[in-house]
Order: sequence, then structure tokens, then C-alpha cells
Amino acid sequence: MLDPDGGLLRGTLDVLILKALTWGPRHGYAVAEWVKGVTDGDLLVEEGPLYTALHRLEKSGWLSSEWGYSENNRRAKYYQLTRTGRAQLRAEVGAWERYVRAVGKALSAPSTAPS
Amino acid sequence: MRRVLRLPFSRRRLTRDVDDELAFHFATRIDQLVARGLTLEAARAEALKQFGDIESVRQGMLSLSEEREAAARRATVLSDVRQDLTYGIRTLRRGAAFTGLVVGGLALGIGANATIFSLIDAMLLRQLPVTKPEELVAVGDPENVTSSGYGTPSAELFSYPLYRDVHDNNQVFSGVVATGPASRLDVRVERGMAEPEHPNGRFVSGNYFSVLGVRAAVGTTLDSSDDAPGALARATISHGYWTRRFQGDSTVVGRAITVNGAGVVITGVGPPAFTGEVVGSTTDIWLPIPTHDLLRPNERILDNRRAGWLLLLGRTKPGLTLEQVKQGLIPVIESSIRSNVSSRDDIVALNTRGLTYAVSSGARGLSSVRPAFAAPLVALMIGVALLLCIVCVNVANLLLARGIARRREMSLRLALGANRSRIVRQLLTEGMLLALVSGTAAVLVGWWGSKALLALASEGKPVSLALGPSAPVLAFTFALSLGSVVLFGLVPALRSSRVDLASALRAQSRSVAQGARFGVWLIAGQVAVSLVLVAGASMLTRSLRAIQSTELGLDRDHLIVADLDITTPGYSADRLATAVHALRDRVMEVPGVVDVTYSENGLFTGTDWSTSLAVPGFTARIPEDSITSQDLAGAGYARAIGARVIAGRDLEPRDEGVLPRVVMVNESFARFYFAGRDPVGQFIRFDDSVHVQIVGVVADIRGQSLQAPEARRARRIYIPFLHAVDPGNFGQPDNLRLLVRTSGDPAALLQRVRREIVAVDAALTLDDIRPLSALVRVSIRQERLVARIATALGVLALLLAGIGLYGVTTYTIARRRNEIGVRLALGARGLDIGRMVLRDVLRPVALGLVVGLPLAIVAMRLLQQHLIDAAPDAGSVAIAIAVLVASAGVAGAAPAVQATRIDPLTALRAD
Repeated sequence: MLDPDGGLLRGTLDVLILKALTWGPRHGYAVAEWVKGVTDGDLLVEEGPLYTALHRLEKSGWLSSEWGYSENNRRAKYYQLTRTGRAQLRAEVGAWERYVRAVGKALSAPSTAPS
Repeated sequence: MRRVLRLPFSRRRLTRDVDDELAFHFATRIDQLVARGLTLEAARAEALKQFGDIESVRQGMLSLSEEREAAARRATVLSDVRQDLTYGIRTLRRGAAFTGLVVGGLALGIGANATIFSLIDAMLLRQLPVTKPEELVAVGDPENVTSSGYGTPSAELFSYPLYRDVHDNNQVFSGVVATGPASRLDVRVERGMAEPEHPNGRFVSGNYFSVLGVRAAVGTTLDSSDDAPGALARATISHGYWTRRFQGDSTVVGRAITVNGAGVVITGVGPPAFTGEVVGSTTDIWLPIPTHDLLRPNERILDNRRAGWLLLLGRTKPGLTLEQVKQGLIPVIESSIRSNVSSRDDIVALNTRGLTYAVSSGARGLSSVRPAFAAPLVALMIGVALLLCIVCVNVANLLLARGIARRREMSLRLALGANRSRIVRQLLTEGMLLALVSGTAAVLVGWWGSKALLALASEGKPVSLALGPSAPVLAFTFALSLGSVVLFGLVPALRSSRVDLASALRAQSRSVAQGARFGVWLIAGQVAVSLVLVAGASMLTRSLRAIQSTELGLDRDHLIVADLDITTPGYSADRLATAVHALRDRVMEVPGVVDVTYSENGLFTGTDWSTSLAVPGFTARIPEDSITSQDLAGAGYARAIGARVIAGRDLEPRDEGVLPRVVMVNESFARFYFAGRDPVGQFIRFDDSVHVQIVGVVADIRGQSLQAPEARRARRIYIPFLHAVDPGNFGQPDNLRLLVRTSGDPAALLQRVRREIVAVDAALTLDDIRPLSALVRVSIRQERLVARIATALGVLALLLAGIGLYGVTTYTIARRRNEIGVRLALGARGLDIGRMVLRDVLRPVALGLVVGLPLAIVAMRLLQQHLIDAAPDAGSVAIAIAVLVASAGVAGAAPAVQATRIDPLTALRAD
């Protein structure tokens, strides 16, 4: 699930990107910085795969994009969630929480020998 | 950050976007690293390291962008189309009257074309539903498809032995079949049926089904085993007959039925689409040729080389042309005929006349009605095409008017930023919808119309064709529909999209001049076309009347023709005489009957015989000169039918019962062979030794058809019907037609006469009994039908042109209300306005007449060349012009009167 150097598998990357955009449009760089910041640096987002993921999510219809200008007036591509994207995020979050609960239960269970 | 314009798709733009996105990332990252204290180069290197494989990521982003763009574009097109369709349907429904007029007009015009075209397709174009019909070749004259004859062997109608020789010795066919008519079959499907049925039958060779490639739907078909002499008599029935008569019962295979008293076993059922090779009639039952003599024991012709009754259909070997096939067959046929000819007369005939070969494509089957209907169908096709032009002009005017009315809507949409091509596309979609609906309606009209037309054409003698929406007809209909709408819808669409925004948005639009001039030309075109149609119809009708009033030379309105079957009973000469005399005496007793006689060919029955002879003192220049028509006639024939004897005497009772050695001739005969001399008392010679004496000359009668006969059919000899057996010379008659002269209306006596005839001899069957006038009508049914349709087309043309004229005039007045108001205000009287309008109406009409007159004359000449005998006459043209001017006057009068009543104040205020 987690690589030793904090890299991420693809499915996880998708849900993080979707979460990153919950509060409004962001460009790709901002998404990467947000992930790094919000996990206290525990998760390193590989930048190449991040941009590929953004385009893939846009093609799937979960993100839409617009060109705009950043704070220092550079031309940047802003992504935002579509309605289906929001729905997808809710679904993924739910699945992730169920997964975490299940594994957590397994890992914190007392050892019982099979009878 | 709203996107306002959608830029056109371009790969360069996508590449630029991807590069910009990456550039932004690197710029920001580098700034951040530099802010942390790295040098520019170090920052750049670190950014690259953190990013990963930049090139593969870039490629991935690019291909994903392209896929996304393509999907988006597809979705847009689909939604655009759906939007266009929805909007189009809504617009058409809102203007329901307009839509109704356009659809109705097109359905009528195109439907009429579809009607004629489906008849043309079924009768002239469609190929037989067999394997590879293009390989089939017809040998023999297809006009003979229901004929049979005796005489010198010919290559236009084959005898069975001649067919077998061709079959065995030819090098050009991979298979060749023979097919011949089966006149009246008495079929009993169940044991002990009282009344027999009479399905249509044909005699075919055993290889018929296998050569044509037609397989049985149930059971098996006839095969070559049926050609063996003495084989069990079998038959194959058609699918239609099977469904109708046997209700699709599969136990019909192997069932024994009775045909003409003989037992026949059914082998199976043909496939649904196959009704035989004869176009214009459907075959219900196919019988093997060798059963002919079994089924018609009084007409044994199987081995008779002088009995011609078969036509051949051969499947050519690959790579041979029609001409090669003909050249390959000629020696085979010629040698077979010449090496088997016995009679000296035949030898002489062959040497002088030679053999005529008829080899043609068999892909479309054989038909005797096709030649009669081909020219009229083509003429009608042109007629309905012209009618469609008139309809299309009205449709164009409607669409044009609506286009102008919608200019404001269009201009508004353009001003709000709509794409011009999008508007055009949406108008085209409306046009497509119209075309689709009109086309469907036209198909229905065409289907109904062709059935109705065929029913009309079948009057008297049924013509059956497989009519139904076939692929060519559907394609034709929808192509016409699409063409008409696109052509007449595209113009207004393009024009309205080119609208000048400023002037169109303004309340007033005075620039009608150009539209009006176009409309004038359209009206003139309609008038011209109407003139052609009305002139043609007038000419056809006059010609028909002339034909109908042809003098026949006999008492046309007081004759009944009864057709009796004398071959089935197989009378001897004596028995025949007794029966005929009994008939005559019995019918004479009926009150109202003035005279009774009999002949072999009857009158207007479609059968005729001819013979060759020699007249001493006359030298034939061409072989045709020795041929004359003949009939076997009863005593008092001329007197009974009302013909005039102009020299000598009529045939009398004393000429009956003995060897036939006296004849009566007609005027044409006398003039041709005895120019100037008195033929009475002269002798003519048949074969080598038989001399007969002419006892009388009768004035020419038109007894076969209303049209003037060709030379050898015009001259005729009459031989006594009841004569002693004369082996080798004159045979016994094959048919008996009783001719009954009445004092009053013959139709009133039909039933009574029929009863008397039937009561005479149970063995005699009455095939048909009709007044002569009815038979005459049937003989010109095609001319009558064409004249009727042409008249209908003419009337429709006038109606549609009149409607168009009315519409355009009303519309023009409406648009000129302002101008009219100004004129009225300046002192013009209502009458002046009315006159002005009328002048504007009559101008295009006059133009149309001027253009249409030469066209009408050309059309009439074409009719004369190909269809009818009459010459283009001034009367027809004058009638047509008068009718047209009157219609135009009526159509323009109402709007003109309306114009005189315009109130100047409201006119000036109007928009």
C-alpha cells in the first residue's frame, strides 16, 4: 500500500486529488503542495503521475478544467470537481473508511490460535 | 474566468496547453527552490528530479487530452443533432397548416411518380426471382407467350421435337427449358367435386426448375424424370395457389388431383416469390410437357413438328454475348427444321420466306402485354414528372414565403451570436424531416395508387403483377422526396441565412423585388407545364374518341359473342354440326334475337388465324403477299353480323357438311389479288391440289381491333365452319364462337341466351359470353386508361397551378399593401388597383403560355410518334389555352377583388 519512500498507489492518488479540490478550483502544483502539507510531509506526491492523473480524471468526467491566471500572473490550468466527481469522491471516501476499519480491526485483534 | 468562445480543435493548441501547464509547474517549483536558497541550476535539476520522467508524462497528458477532446466533440454533435431535430419537429408542428400543405402536396406529386414507377419496375425493369437472371436468354418471340399455332415450322414458336433438338445439339446453353401455355384446365382438387376450378397452368420441360435455379418450398419440383415418355403425370403448384387453395397444408405433397379428367400427383410447392416466367400473369400449376397429350387428347401435338406452342429460355454458358448465342443457335434450329420437313408447301415456304429468329434477353421474363404497356407507361411517367414539377413550385413558394416570414427570427438569432452554418444546418434538418414525412406518405400513396391503377388496367383481362414496396421503388421515392425538399428548401435556407442584419431587423422590409421576380418565373413555369399536360390530355382524349367511333362495318351495338369450348368434348364433324345447329335453333327462339351465326375466331376475341395461298394470275413479290387471314364462318355469316355483301353471295347452308371448296372473301382481298377483275367465280389454290372457288365478296369489317390492320391482316377469306372431314387440307375448327344479333340492347338478353346455350349439350362448356361492345371496350382498355389518367393529370395540374397562382397573388398583394395604400391615398380608384393586380397576374400567365406553346407542340409530336395515331391538332391546343386562361382568371380574380376593397388607412398603417 505504501511504498517505503512515501509514494502512493494509483487508486489512492485519485481520491487524494478529488479531496484536494473539494474547496474550490486549484491548479496541479497547488494540489501537490496541499497533499504534502496536509499530511505533514508523510505523503510525497510524485509530480509526473499527478499530472497524468489529473488529465485522466478530467477525461473520466470527474474534473473539469479552465485556463486562468495565477497569483503571479502566469497562465495556469485550474481543475475543479464536477457533480459526478463529487459523487465519486463520496463513494471513494466511504470505501476507504470501511477498508481502514476492517484492517484496523484485524491488526488490533488479540492473537487467537485456530481451534 | 468564463470560456466565451470555443476554439476549433487543433493538435497544436492541445500541445501548447500541456506545455504551458508543465511550464507553470516548473516555474513555480523553481521559484520555490530558489527562494529556499538553491541556485538556479540546482533548483532546475532538483525540480526535474522531483518530477520524474518528463517526456513520458508529457506524452501521456497529450494523448489523454486528445481522447477527451474527441469524446467531447462527439457528444456535442449528437446533442446538436438532437436539438435540431426537436426544434425542427416543434417548428413543423406549430406551422401545422404549412406542414400539411407541403407534405400533402409532395405526397401527392411524389406518390403519383411512385405509382407509375412501381408499375414500370414491376412490368419493365424487374428481373425474374431466379438464380442469375442476367444469364437467361429467350428464344422465340415473347409476343407468342400465350399463343399456339399450326403451320410451317418456325423459330418464333417452337414445336416439342424442335425444342428437343435444340436441347440436345446446342453448344451455347448450359441448360435450356421449354415453356408453353395451358389453355383452360379443369382441375378437381378433391374427389367428387362438382364444379372444376381453372387455375392458370403452364407446360414446362422437366429441367425447368433446375435450370432456373428455383427450389421447392415444400416437397420437390418437377425434374428431368418427368420428361420420360410414359412417366407418371406429376405437377408442381405455386406458393400462392398452395396458400389460397390448400391453406398451406403440407400434406399436399404426393396428393393426387384430377386435371382434365386425368390423375396428376403433386410433387411439391414452389417458393413464395416465384410466379413463373410470364410477366403479367401468375402461374398456379406447372405441368410436364409430355402430359400435354394426356390432358388434351383431342389436340395431340407432342410429336408434331408443325405444332408450334413453346418458347425457350436458355442459360448461357459464361462469356457468351447475345449475338453469339443467336449465331450459335441458328445452325442448330435450321438443320433440325430442314432435315425434318415433309410437306412440300412447307419446303416452299421455308425456301421463300426463310426463318426468322428471335433471340432476346430473358432476364425479365416473357411478356405479351409488355410491348402494349411500355410506351404508355413511359408517357405517363413523363406526365407525372411534370406534375411533380408543378407541385414542387408550390412547395418552393410556400417555403420561400415562410423563409421570408422567418427572416426576423433568423436575424435575431444571428445577432445573438448563433453560428450561420448552425442555422443553415437546422433549416436543413427541418427540410429532412419534411422529406422523411413526405416520402413515407408518398410511399403509401404510391402503393395504393399502383394497386388501383393495376385494377383499372386489368379491366376485362386481368393483369397481375407483384406490386409492393420494392427496394428500387423505395429508393426512388425517398430520393425524389429528398431532392425536392433539399432543392426547394435549400434555396430559402441559404437566402435567409445571408440576410442583412440591419435591414431585416427593421420593421419594414421593402426588398421584395427580387423574390417577386423569381416567383413570376415560377408561375410562368407552372403555366407552361400545365399547358403541356392539358394539351396532351386533350389530344389523347380526342384520339380516343376517334378510335371509339371507328366504323366497324358490322352491327356493333346489337351483337353478343359467346365463346364455347369444343375441343374438350372431342366432337366428330357430324356431332359438331348437330350441336351447332341445335345451338343456333335454340337461341333463335329467344325473343329479341334476330339472327344467329357462328365462326371460329369470333369478333374481338383476340384470336386469329392466317394461311398461305396462291392466286392464279397473281405473282407474289414478297413472301407476305401469299399470306392472308382466314376464318371459318357459318351460313349467313355476313347477313347475321350486319356486314354488307358487295358481290356474289354470302355463305349458305348448302356449303355446309361437304368438302370445303367454296369461300367468301373480303374487299381488301379482292382488291389485292384481283385488282379490277371480278373475283366471284375465280379459283384460289391451297397446298398443291386444293382449289376453292370464290362465291362472294363482303365489305371489310374491323373484327379484331379498332386500329387499322396491317396489310396481310386486312385481307381475309371465310371458309365454311361446318365442313366434312378434309384430311391434309382444312382441319376442323378449334373454337366455336356463337354470334347472336339482337333487336334491342344485347346486355338485356345475356342471361337468357346463356341459359339456352348451356341447356343444349352438357358436354359443351360456355367459356364466356359478352356483348360485342364490351369486348370492344376491353380491346382499347389501355388507350382508355391512358386518356383517363392524362385527363386526371391535366385537371390536377390546373388545380395545383391555380392554387399556386392564388397563393402567390395573395401574398404579393399582402406585401404591397403599403404601396397600394399610397396609391389609394393619392387618388387611385379601387378598380384601378384591381386592374393592376389582374395585369400582374396575367403577365406570368402570358409568359407561361408563350413558353409552353412550343413545348406543348413538341410533346404532342412525341405522343404521335410513340403512342397514338392522331396528329397534333390546333383544336387540342386551343382548348388547352382557353382552359388555362380561364383557370388563371378565376385564380387571380379573388385576390384582385380583395385588393379593390383595401381601406387606404389600414393599408398605410400596416406593417
